[in-house]
Amino acid sequence: MDEDLDGWFTREILSHEASLVRYLLRTWPHRDDLHDLRQEAYVRVYEAAGKSRPSSAKSFLFATARNLMTDRVRRERVVSIEARGDLDALNVLVDEISPEQQASAHQQLRRLAEAFDTLPRKCREVVWMRRVEELSQREVACRLGIAEKTVEKHVANGIRLLANSMYGSHPGDEPQAGAADVEIESDHGQQQ
Amino acid sequence: MASSNSLRVEEVAAAWLARRDRDEWTAADQAEFTQWLHASTAHRVAYLRLKSAWEQAHRLRAIGAGAMPGVVPPAGEWRRSPFFERQAATTTSDPATANIDNALDGARPGTRSKASAVDPLGAPTQQSRVAPQRRGLHWTRSVPRALAASVLFAIAVGSGWYFWPQPSVYRTDVGGLQSVPLSDGSQVTLNTASEIRVAVTDTERRVTLARGEAFFEVAKDAKRPFVVSVANKRVIAVGTKFSVRREADNVRVVVTEGRVRVERIGGQQEPAEQLSAGTVARAGDAGTLVQEKPLAEAEEYLSWRTGFLVFRDSTLGEAVAEFNRYNTHQIVVEDPAVAAIHVGGSFRSNNVDAFIRLIEQGLPVRAERSDDRIVLKAT
Repeated sequence: MDEDLDGWFTREILSHEASLVRYLLRTWPHRDDLHDLRQEAYVRVYEAAGKSRPSSAKSFLFATARNLMTDRVRRERVVSIEARGDLDALNVLVDEISPEQQASAHQQLRRLAEAFDTLPRKCREVVWMRRVEELSQREVACRLGIAEKTVEKHVANGIRLLANSMYGSHPGDEPQAGAADVEIESDHGQQQ
Repeated sequence: MASSNSLRVEEVAAAWLARRDRDEWTAADQAEFTQWLHASTAHRVAYLRLKSAWEQAHRLRAIGAGAMPGVVPPAGEWRRSPFFERQAATTTSDPATANIDNALDGARPGTRSKASAVDPLGAPTQQSRVAPQRRGLHWTRSVPRALAASVLFAIAVGSGWYFWPQPSVYRTDVGGLQSVPLSDGSQVTLNTASEIRVAVTDTERRVTLARGEAFFEVAKDAKRPFVVSVANKRVIAVGTKFSVRREADNVRVVVTEGRVRVERIGGQQEPAEQLSAGTVARAGDAGTLVQEKPLAEAEEYLSWRTGFLVFRDSTLGEAVAEFNRYNTHQIVVEDPAVAAIHVGGSFRSNNVDAFIRLIEQGLPVRAERSDDRIVLKAT
């Protein structure tokens, strides 16, 4: 487990998450499995790259995802007949699925801004103060009049939501997680 | 269940990151963390993914540079910022990107004179709730950045974009499928060749469906009705799930949860239609045709969200028209007898070849393929 491998994984693999999720979504009929499939694809890629780094990260990621789905179909027989008859669709060329280029720096920033805007209100404030104003968690707690532990929870929640919308996420990916938090948060702090 | 497992790993990874982000981090914490991280590759990849996102969130500073210190800008404000405007004009040339990045990270000498009008230290109110000495410390650290920020703030005010809500536009190409989270917590899924404009304010949530089809998962907010305008119809919801599609002469609405109301824009002569879950409605100029269906059947109309088209006793003509929405390679049926053949089943929307193969195998139809189209004929 070296720093190099971590860097490679972050740079070369995670940047394709949006395409990967789209691929899984189009190919796999059970969207409840997507989070798990994505995670397992990452695990396989990370472990294989620890032994030897693939020459094309993107093709390797998609080939891994495809093998993973094929394995599941064989093992669990979970796919409906229609979808199974159509399994050759799994062999579509990677570039047909995700023709988009590597996002430019500008596009990444735009995605970040949009991701940030989707955070629940209190969580958004905490992320802003922590990351933009660079207040410590304690200072944020003091400013908002909430417990430090609550700030920590907002940070954890914010990290997940940001990662999901920045990297791709998919429709139906735990939409309640954010919504539920709004309810919890409105209890204290901010009585202007 | 397997999927809840990967979600749990993600939760724990996020909790670790948040804990590392705290003020205290002890040797014992470190030991415990290292042990967790090395316990499984699943832990490690989940952690790397979240860590990278959290590190990137630092870059919010670049786009947030127009905001006053101590004020968290409302959602949606940056979309019209000079940063995005200028980039849109120069598309993706790298030197330009670098330029803007620099401009946003540091001060721009040429515009100094304007900046003096907005003094960050004199900036109003919101910050006063923080203990003074802490505030002072924070300022010393961030004065250069605050200055740079105020410069941009001045430019921003000058060009009139700041704090000015603008509708955002989202669109998909033929064969596209895109999920758009909105700032109120609602989620929109755009089908093939579709376009929406979104404006979310404190008093209303307004979406215009310019073309195509979209599925809405509306976050509950009784104070802000969620209104979808399409052609001369308005579809109104509070917290519910439904899809809206523009067809040639009418608007199709499918409701899978809660209730929505459909009304005509600008006309009171027609009563508004209340639609409940399981309803498929077609609203045209002549009136609204409402069909109540079992929920599972209504949901088949929304199978495009997973990339499938489901037909239940449709005619081949209808099925072909549906396929043609998703693909540039168009299928043509000229013979009315062929178009009237009944078909059913589920097909991948972007795999025309598989569909045609199945049609040829199962029906008295043959396909003539050319570069731009496929003509179905009777055998």
